[in-house]
Amino acid sequence: MNGRISTGMLYQQSLTSMLAKQAKLAHTQQQLSTGQKLISAKDDPVAAGLAVGLDRSLAELERYGQNANVLQNRLGLQENALARVGDAMARVSELTIQASNPAMGPDSRKAISTELEAIHAGLIDLANSTDGSGRYLFGGTADGDAPFSIGTGGVVYSGDQTQRRVELAPDTFVSDTLPGSEIFLRLRTGDGRVHASALPGNTGTGLLMDYSLTDPAAFDGGTYQVRFPTPDTYEVRNSANVVVGTGSFEDGESIAFAGLQIKLDGAPAAGDAFEIGPAGVRDVFGTIQGLIDTLESNPVTAGERTAMQNALQGALRDVSLASGRMIDARAAGGAQLRALDQAADLRDANSITVKDALSGLRDLDWAEAISRYNQETTALQAAQTVFTQMQSMSLFNMMR
Amino acid sequence: MSNLMATGSSALLAFQRALNTVSHNVANINTPGYSRQRAEMQAREGAYGQEGSGVRVVDIRRMADSLATARLLDSSGELSRLQQMTVLTGRMDSLFSDKATGITAPWSGFFDSVSALSSSAASAADRENLLSQAGALVSRFNQIDKHLDGLDNEINSGLTAGVAEVNRLSAEIAQLNGRIGGGGNVSGDLLDRRDQLISELVGFTGGNAMAQDAGQINVFTSGGQPLVVGTAASRLVTTTDPYRPDRLQVALETSFQRTDLGKGALGGQMGALLEFRSNVLDPALGELGRIAVSLARTFNEGHTAGMDLYGQLGGEFFDLPAPTVAPHSGNGGTALLTAQVADIDALRAQDVVLRFDGANWTAANAGNGAPVAMTGTGTAADPLLVNGVSLVVAGAAAAGDRFQLLPTAGAAGAISLAITDPGRIAAATAVKGSSDLGNLGTGKLSGTRVLDAGDPDLLAPVAIEFIDANQYTIDGTGPFAYTPGQAIVHNGWSVVLDGVPVAGDSFGVGPTGANSSNNGNAALLANLDDARVLNAGTLTLNGAIGGLITSVGSSARQADYAAEAQLVIHDQALAARDSISGVNLDEEAADLMRLQQAYQAASQIIATADSLFQSLLGAVRR
Repeated sequence: MNGRISTGMLYQQSLTSMLAKQAKLAHTQQQLSTGQKLISAKDDPVAAGLAVGLDRSLAELERYGQNANVLQNRLGLQENALARVGDAMARVSELTIQASNPAMGPDSRKAISTELEAIHAGLIDLANSTDGSGRYLFGGTADGDAPFSIGTGGVVYSGDQTQRRVELAPDTFVSDTLPGSEIFLRLRTGDGRVHASALPGNTGTGLLMDYSLTDPAAFDGGTYQVRFPTPDTYEVRNSANVVVGTGSFEDGESIAFAGLQIKLDGAPAAGDAFEIGPAGVRDVFGTIQGLIDTLESNPVTAGERTAMQNALQGALRDVSLASGRMIDARAAGGAQLRALDQAADLRDANSITVKDALSGLRDLDWAEAISRYNQETTALQAAQTVFTQMQSMSLFNMMR
Repeated sequence: MSNLMATGSSALLAFQRALNTVSHNVANINTPGYSRQRAEMQAREGAYGQEGSGVRVVDIRRMADSLATARLLDSSGELSRLQQMTVLTGRMDSLFSDKATGITAPWSGFFDSVSALSSSAASAADRENLLSQAGALVSRFNQIDKHLDGLDNEINSGLTAGVAEVNRLSAEIAQLNGRIGGGGNVSGDLLDRRDQLISELVGFTGGNAMAQDAGQINVFTSGGQPLVVGTAASRLVTTTDPYRPDRLQVALETSFQRTDLGKGALGGQMGALLEFRSNVLDPALGELGRIAVSLARTFNEGHTAGMDLYGQLGGEFFDLPAPTVAPHSGNGGTALLTAQVADIDALRAQDVVLRFDGANWTAANAGNGAPVAMTGTGTAADPLLVNGVSLVVAGAAAAGDRFQLLPTAGAAGAISLAITDPGRIAAATAVKGSSDLGNLGTGKLSGTRVLDAGDPDLLAPVAIEFIDANQYTIDGTGPFAYTPGQAIVHNGWSVVLDGVPVAGDSFGVGPTGANSSNNGNAALLANLDDARVLNAGTLTLNGAIGGLITSVGSSARQADYAAEAQLVIHDQALAARDSISGVNLDEEAADLMRLQQAYQAASQIIATADSLFQSLLGAVRR
């Protein structure tokens, strides 16, 4: 230290230290009022750079949360619609079983078919449900217009088969609503693997009771006909119309060939034939429409009544398959909602980690900052007191 | 008796002068650069064996130590350089750090709005929001660039004002050198005045002062260029950058030549301006531009692979100007270079100088002159390729011609939105797959992606038909063997086909079509901020923004620290100087009292002499 100090230096020094203390105090004040220890990047450049990335992650997670709300709304609407579709299908099964009662009269059938028509129309409306923002839930990504409409050959699907996937957590995608084609269309007929039916021209009372694919390895995928040249004998012809088997027919006995099994009741007339082959596809509207058409026919002869019974049995199978599909679709929707919840959990976990890291980088240690604030206030006050006292300390003051 | 009288009056005169000196010191206590003065007294000697005859003031001595003054000068030049740096970098730092002016908030908002679009791709509200967020991001880029340009202009005016001030100061110092070196004794006040002027001058330019034998002082810049030599002052002038007419530089003009003073040749405030411009401002401008260019390029690339609401392939989303290539003002040839960004992951923000030696082009870093790798010859078929920028030379370059390439600087100021219609946002994947509704198998198309948006047949409808369970044809060509889960790549797209198809099943891939709520492309675009597209695929755009903020913050912190340290050094130098030259009021008060007493005592000598004389008169009167 110099032995000699100039008065100007003395003032300057205490002024400088006072200003420095004031600047520190202002910085602490700013930290306290913002709750952050980083006021600008220069306070800790590396932390500030890191915080940029973390802030972005946090904003992204929040945005994912909002995206999840949009999706939740749509999936919730899908769930509602599919629940109602399920109810409708249950009613269709019930009505089909009722209609299968051979004692049912034409009036009762008419009543059933009227109700089925209403359900048919209601199903189309459900399939054309909207998400509340003018887009159709079951149109895939071509959801700007109603995906289901009635055309000449039945219900026409104009949506597409793309199912959107929305990112709801980093690299976690959840599927949006199912395309209508995967719910209402593409339903297998028969038992899902093979389909059998009585040919339309049958005149006997041969009733198609049951059929199944017993040995998939032996089945070549072709369509076979079981024909009755006489009421007591049958022959099996393949799709090339070649006889591949013959036998005598016993009422209620199963006929097996080519890995298939078919069970017929009643008395087929000579010339009657039954067909069995791989299951095709049909939409749920077509199934119901077929049922309606069957119920609206008015059987008089025993043959016609048998034909109706056969048709109703087929319809019952189709309806139960369709109901199964609706339940599957609803289960898929439930799985999506669950994925939504899982994504939310993941977001929450990530968000806590990121916030924790950000807080470590940027947030103020309040206890430390407040005690620092007090300390700095005291120091500034002390500097001010020293300054005022120093001011009065001059030899000139004594020269009176 | 007359001796006594003479001694007393000499003391009175001396003490009066000393008192005057004290009052001069007290009067100048607040004068910057003032050195305290002291009246030096000496006894008036008598002849041998005789008593002396009082006192006289031989000198009004200026209490100064040239070593302490030189140290102070040195530290004050450095201090004003660092303080200027602190101010400028602090402004940059708060520009980038503050949420209201920085890039991070609109950046995040933009990508959030893309993510929002991916949850409801056809929603008019989300599309509008994306456009307005994109507008906000673009204008924030523009604003920051404009703000940095404003800093650039401030540096220009700072240099102009600095040059005027330096010229005034050096002229004055040279003039004072003349008066002081003219011989004879000069007052301490004049020396103080000159020291003060030199300190002001060094505050602008840095440098040092060398005392000469004749009492003159020469002043040099920190690079050793003479500002004042004896009675001659050099003149500083501002010149324009040969590549960029909007930029000023400083040159030293002597009667023979003009020497450019770079950031190394100048210290002080003006050195800080030049250093800030080349070390902080230009890199930040370049890096901001690089982020803007990379964003625009990657986003455009993704956007053009998508399909908009009208069923058209997406267009450019951002508009971006080409990199700037400025010829040197002294170029002799007629060559003009046009530049284009060729490769984002090789793109660097660093400015490059291209030089033609008569046969070949070479490239060098504009900042430090280090060579930069470059390929190509400059023709349209084989363009010059440097740092991810391709350049085509038109016209003939003369040997020695130079061009400066600013790969990304200014891009942030010129980026704009290319689309204004929310329907033109290409949120959908351009193609979609479908399986025929009559298919009996469980085959399913998924994961449709566009690999090459430029494929002319991208949108052509394609049918994939299974001739049996294990083979398929594409539009009749084939057959190809089928493996479940395989990706089928055709016409610039790829789809994943999975499940068990059966013979006769058919699948179609075709354009997504108008008014689709397909969100495939939006989901890809929303993740571009985390795609590693920069620095040879090692750096994400988010990372680049973090890096920019860190580098700006670091330079501010560094300047702060250095200025704080320099302030301590400066305070020490000032204390050292003031311990010698500063005025202390207590000391002056003590001197005042001491001299007052001495003056009273000397008056008493006169009175005593008088009374002696009176008593002598009294003795002889009668």
